[in-house]
Amino acid sequence: MHQVANTPRGRGVLACIQCGRCTNSCPVARVVQEHNPRKLMEMIILGLRSDVLSEQLPWYCLSCFTCLDRCPQGGDVGETIFAIRNLAVRQGNIPEGILAQAKNLFENGRVVTPSRMALVQREKYGLGREPVVDVEIVQKILRRTSFDRLINKGS
Amino acid sequence: MKPMKYAFFLGCLIPAREPQYENSVRKIAPELGMELVEMEGANCCAPFSIQSLDYVSWLALAARNLCMAEQMNLNILALCNDCYESLLATNTILKENHEVRDKVNEILADVGLEFKGKTDVKIFSDALYEDVGIKRVKDAVKKPFNGLRVAVQPGCHLTKPKRIHFKQQMGVIALDELVNATGAVSVPYERKDACCGGPLRGINDEVALRVAKQKLDSIRAAGVDCIVTVCPFCFLELDMGQLEIRRHLKEEYDLPVLNFADLLRMAMGMKLENWEIKAHRIPITKILNMAGAK
Repeated sequence: MHQVANTPRGRGVLACIQCGRCTNSCPVARVVQEHNPRKLMEMIILGLRSDVLSEQLPWYCLSCFTCLDRCPQGGDVGETIFAIRNLAVRQGNIPEGILAQAKNLFENGRVVTPSRMALVQREKYGLGREPVVDVEIVQKILRRTSFDRLINKGS
Repeated sequence: MKPMKYAFFLGCLIPAREPQYENSVRKIAPELGMELVEMEGANCCAPFSIQSLDYVSWLALAARNLCMAEQMNLNILALCNDCYESLLATNTILKENHEVRDKVNEILADVGLEFKGKTDVKIFSDALYEDVGIKRVKDAVKKPFNGLRVAVQPGCHLTKPKRIHFKQQMGVIALDELVNATGAVSVPYERKDACCGGPLRGINDEVALRVAKQKLDSIRAAGVDCIVTVCPFCFLELDMGQLEIRRHLKEEYDLPVLNFADLLRMAMGMKLENWEIKAHRIPITKILNMAGAK
């Protein structure tokens, strides 16, 4: 629990009273039984580290923040999820889709890049040239935060 | 009059997948007295996928964009709910928490920047409501969509979480009023504040679709002509999502999805180009004919 609480965005776990409002308000919990925000908080409190960080559990949340607004305690499940994810990726648990976005970010400065087709259309329809990203600055920042090493770990 | 000059933050998704949204904003803005200044070299806002990986990388990348706007001495205008969330959250955290701000500034110093906390972040609909004002928008409407029944899809990060949205539900109220200003009617429906499922795209497509289905069921039950959103992720999830739901979940809807900028542009008497009309997977033909019809 304290490892999560000491991670940025994870402090809310200390305030959780297990009331379950988060689960009741969660749009994913309505369709996926395995995703139960209250139970996830309970698992963190009980220190079930490997269960919390393994496989799918960290990756069901939509970050819609409904639970954040409904939590009577400022317990922050929606925020705590980011703390869990930050820990999970350091164990190599990164979904492919996210890894692809991260690599794109490092190489091109953005998570989604326009296709060649989209660029041709842009010119054709008078939207001007492609917005330019200063990739060098992005890479400098991401090397400094060791982001590059983090994503190499996932691949 | 409030200053209406903005650092124009385009983001990644809109130029790549929804250039029609960008085009509409570029056409509407000058008509309403808004000046958009390009942010040359701006980087990705660092959305949830990146926040999931590393806290400091997120803040530093978002802060770099904020620094650009500070140097331009302008507020940022975002078009995408996720860009809005990332930039607004970063701006709020760094303004409030000096310890984190110092840490981020240490990184930014390497690229010759410093976050000072002098800019504000706005999303397009809020800027229309707060800066341009409903009256001016109404006056610009030449071909009203009289009687068009609209399900407004605000998108989560227009108003959530409330700890960074100090005006709480105001973003949704603003969007409702803006839709009504085009002559259309924003119709209430049960799951209006619920997520479209979009953020799970590429991580868990099946769950994303099932969440979208809950939303679409609720919208259909309200009996509307179309869905109107400001968020490019909601647009994709609800428009393209309908085709995928038809294929995978065997449920059929026929709910055209429009971006609010497109709706307003048409109501202002500016037609959508053919390529823009075709960018909608669910045909919007019946909506096109309703501009200025009655």
